Amino acid sequence: MDVLPNEEEQMIRNSAREFFETECPTSLVREMEKSDKGYSEELWSKMSEVGWLSLAIPESYGGSGFGMTTLGIVMSETGRVLAPVPFHSTMTASLAISDFGSDKQKQDILPLVADGNQILTWAFSEEDPRYLPETITTSGELKGDQLVINGTKMFVDNFEASDQVIIVCRTSTEDDPRDGITVCIADTNNSAFTSVPLTTIAKDKQSRVEIRNLSVSKDSIIGEIGKGWPLVSDMLNKSTALLCAQLVGAARKDSEIAIDYAKNRTAFGRPIAAFQSVSHMCADMTIWVDGCELLTFEALWKMDQDLPYSIEVSQAKSFCNEKCLATARTSQVIHGGMGFMMEFDLHLWYRRIAAWTMRLGTTYEHRKKIASALIAHDGPVRLGMNLEAVNI
Amino acid sequence: MDFAYTTEQENLRQEVQAFISENVTEEIRTEIEQFGSRQNRGSLTSGLYKKISDMGWIGISWPKEYGGQGGSRIDQYIVEEEFSRIGVQVGGAGSGAPAILAAGTEEQKKYFLPGMISGDISFALGFTEPQGGADLAGLQCRAVRDGDDFVINGQKMYTTAAHYATHVYLMARTDPDAPKHKGISIFLIPMDTPGITVRPLWTIQNEPKAPHKTTYGDDRTNETFFENVRIPASAMLGEENQGWYVGAMGLNLDRVGASRYLLSVRRDEDIINWTKENSLGNYQLTDDPSVTDRLADLWIDGQVCRLMTLRSMSMVERGETFTYEGSAEKIWAPEHGVRTTESVSQMLGLYGQLLNGSEDNIEDGVFAHNLMGAFQSGINHGSVQVMKDQVSRRGLGLPRG
Repeated sequence: MDVLPNEEEQMIRNSAREFFETECPTSLVREMEKSDKGYSEELWSKMSEVGWLSLAIPESYGGSGFGMTTLGIVMSETGRVLAPVPFHSTMTASLAISDFGSDKQKQDILPLVADGNQILTWAFSEEDPRYLPETITTSGELKGDQLVINGTKMFVDNFEASDQVIIVCRTSTEDDPRDGITVCIADTNNSAFTSVPLTTIAKDKQSRVEIRNLSVSKDSIIGEIGKGWPLVSDMLNKSTALLCAQLVGAARKDSEIAIDYAKNRTAFGRPIAAFQSVSHMCADMTIWVDGCELLTFEALWKMDQDLPYSIEVSQAKSFCNEKCLATARTSQVIHGGMGFMMEFDLHLWYRRIAAWTMRLGTTYEHRKKIASALIAHDGPVRLGMNLEAVNI
Repeated sequence: MDFAYTTEQENLRQEVQAFISENVTEEIRTEIEQFGSRQNRGSLTSGLYKKISDMGWIGISWPKEYGGQGGSRIDQYIVEEEFSRIGVQVGGAGSGAPAILAAGTEEQKKYFLPGMISGDISFALGFTEPQGGADLAGLQCRAVRDGDDFVINGQKMYTTAAHYATHVYLMARTDPDAPKHKGISIFLIPMDTPGITVRPLWTIQNEPKAPHKTTYGDDRTNETFFENVRIPASAMLGEENQGWYVGAMGLNLDRVGASRYLLSVRRDEDIINWTKENSLGNYQLTDDPSVTDRLADLWIDGQVCRLMTLRSMSMVERGETFTYEGSAEKIWAPEHGVRTTESVSQMLGLYGQLLNGSEDNIEDGVFAHNLMGAFQSGINHGSVQVMKDQVSRRGLGLPRG
């Protein structure tokens, strides 16, 4: 038991921090908000050179084989500087391929990801935005050797920038909505896709993707046809935990900017940090982000240990949703009017943190999952126990 | 990062659990219910403490030469956690032991620590005074040197254990002319020294008395008067006029650990487990989404308490010093405890007001008594507001107002 980062983890954190702080100034973040692609190709290629893209890819497929904890540490650093790169979506999809793909799928895709030559995304959400199997209505129909897909996917991350997309569709309707889910991977440059950009508070690139008669080979199916839900559930959990890490990094930095500001801004003849109404807000932000960080890394660590982690992920996301946003809001409050002027950088953090709290499960969705597990557990519950999620 | 216990630690936990199920009989439980685990121990409870002490589980992380086991702080956490859950305090939290270990003379360590382990010695904390608690360094209780002795005059407030403790851990002013932090010394004084008078102060947990396991269920605290109390200079802990630093360090370590965390979070487990097994007439709380959402929320906050405590334990284990982490724990846990008890009262509705001994109460009224106790933990041993000052100044380097 030692919940603090060990030496190797600290080294990775330090080198990731140095890299991203050098390579990703806020000017780049602002520039990418206005660009069509929405990400910096230069930063992406530097990330691949340094090895951040290959970090969590198995060694046999050209990666360094680090686990989720380490990936989470780096993801936190990308969140800290709000790195405008499709790192989260690419890692989400490549982890799913790495964990559930066929050997050929892994050979075809993972080395390209590691080298920075393949950007990935994933399409789950539809009109009903909850992360539940019953929300999947996009149809997949097997015709000979081809899977033909029709439907509309919402809030797809970086679709335009991506080379391939993981699609979650329904190949049959069964009593249990978890049955009949199929997952496949497709090239995004197929004319069956129409991508309609959405305007978001993060000013990131999300789209509604309409799919009309997309035909992919049966070999593109990840896992087994009709039995894709466990894969999807796992992908969503890992993606959520990584998003929490990103939130933690961003919220920590946001709080540090406010603490620094409070030390330097004077009012009534003294630094505003000398007022307890302000200093206690600084203490609160610190404690909130600490809590987010501890919950997030416990979840990531459990993934590396092959322990049940679904409830830990929900704990982390639910807490991050509330406390990271509260931190970003508090940082805004400490800054006063200047904090929400476009020319000042602070809103870059607020807008992204706010947007990320709405992705991959709202507070209510995650608490519902936790409550179900607590109630379904046979016998008394106890903090720190391994708790199994219900219906995953 | 490593969030797991070692195999040895898992074994220790099982050993403690087996000990509890074997030795903590229904009779002992009844006696603890009746007398509480701390004060005026009944004979069965005293026997239990002896057995726990024989197992080497009290002061487990203290050095062997002073009767401890030289074990890790995590081992101690495990033992504390298991016993705290049945309402038995074994960790020596709030005991002043960390300060004695750090600043005591060899003679003091050899005398006090084994005595604390055997249960023959216990301390009441003599810090707070009538004119101020948060501004502790402004204390006025005087200790004046007279040859080889000190003579003490003054008054201490909320000396909760004073009516059953063997000693008082007293902070007094030894140099009134020095800046306020630099004129304080600490004394370890037997309670039977002439000139000490203890007067009870009854809390809102009195009449009816809170059931055992209530958060801050003490029905009584005290004010203690010192009138020309003469003690030898050898009763001083640490160096003269260095008492502030000795005390602050000891408090910092006393604030963390399993018992502090469980004080605030056992409520979460209790209410969840209660709603799983019970209903209020036809009202099944676990079917009410507004209740279950809140239960999950409290559970998550409770996990944060647990993890913050493990962070403090990890730091102690590494030999690192807290800048703010102990204070952070002492902010989050009490604030969470309040959120829980207040939420529980809204879940139970009318039943939430029924006290111990009342007809129709729930679990001996423990949830009602918790509502009167939980907020106390944000006041005692360094208030949440003082802790936030410490996080701001020590942790974040913010200036004083």
